[in-house]
Amino acid sequence: MTTDPAGDPAAAGRPADAGLDPAEMLRMLREQQDAARDATEPDGRLLFGAWGLAWLVGYLALWSTARTGGLPAAWAGWVFAGCIVGAMAFTIVHSVTRTAGVRGVSARTGALYGWTWFLAFLALGVLLGAMGNAGASPEVMAIAANGFAALITGLLYIAGGLAFGESRMAAVGGWMLVTAGVAAFAGMPHTYLVMAVAGGGGFLAMAGVEHVLRVRRRTEGGGQGAR
Amino acid sequence: MARVPDDLDPVIHAPARLRVVASLAALDRGDELAFPRLRKLLDMTAGNLSTHLRKLEDAGYVQVTKTHEGRVPATYLALTEHGRTAFAEYQAALMDLLKGTR
Repeated sequence: MTTDPAGDPAAAGRPADAGLDPAEMLRMLREQQDAARDATEPDGRLLFGAWGLAWLVGYLALWSTARTGGLPAAWAGWVFAGCIVGAMAFTIVHSVTRTAGVRGVSARTGALYGWTWFLAFLALGVLLGAMGNAGASPEVMAIAANGFAALITGLLYIAGGLAFGESRMAAVGGWMLVTAGVAAFAGMPHTYLVMAVAGGGGFLAMAGVEHVLRVRRRTEGGGQGAR
Repeated sequence: MARVPDDLDPVIHAPARLRVVASLAALDRGDELAFPRLRKLLDMTAGNLSTHLRKLEDAGYVQVTKTHEGRVPATYLALTEHGRTAFAEYQAALMDLLKGTR
């Protein structure tokens, strides 16, 4: 593609693409922009997919052991923690690698956004600790942990949708707020099942939607300005 | 099928520069891209890309920021508002050609 003889003053600035028609040129531009976005923006399918799997597997482990024993088994707690830490590590590595070399407004917004997640869940941990100290029963603790986790996730997805202009991200956030309410009322042990199916399933469904939209945009040729 | 005529914006109507502008237009407003990332994305040589960037900078389409990261010099590129407008107009002109209104 780099056939433009830049060093040749006679040819510089003249169209070297005499064989291209407007449709081909528009397609070339769109492909170039898609490639630029792929190289500089995180892939929503991968992020939704990672969190969907983490919630599905982690909360199913908690649910399956709480269903028989009343409370989740210790190993299930470790599986859950492993899933969350794994998804977190993947999100950080993927986002940092993709956005390396981009600086400016979106880099600052992204960093602030990432730290907000960290601080919000740190605060949740402290809050749950205080509730435990004040004598909250394991059932109350489980409802609070799941409900607040879904609440924070919902609010931060809506905030992310606003900050990055991604309406589908905000839609997932709205769904997570519904999940928070349902998970709270489901009570033990089904609160975990709600988190796995509605929460994890919600992320996975959105990963599927992202994929379909992307394939459709790139095969149909999409409109101009379509993301 | 109609050929693309020569009266389109000559600064960006050269495939290599068009690809540079299209890539930078994919960034959000207020963002800049490091030279090595752009070079890799376009698969151009550094010298070739620099030449095109200078032409785009001279036309006021691209803003080149030279800075240091630690002790290593770094160059960041962004499309100016002028460049964004030029790219939008170029795309609109192609669309018009496609619809046969030009």
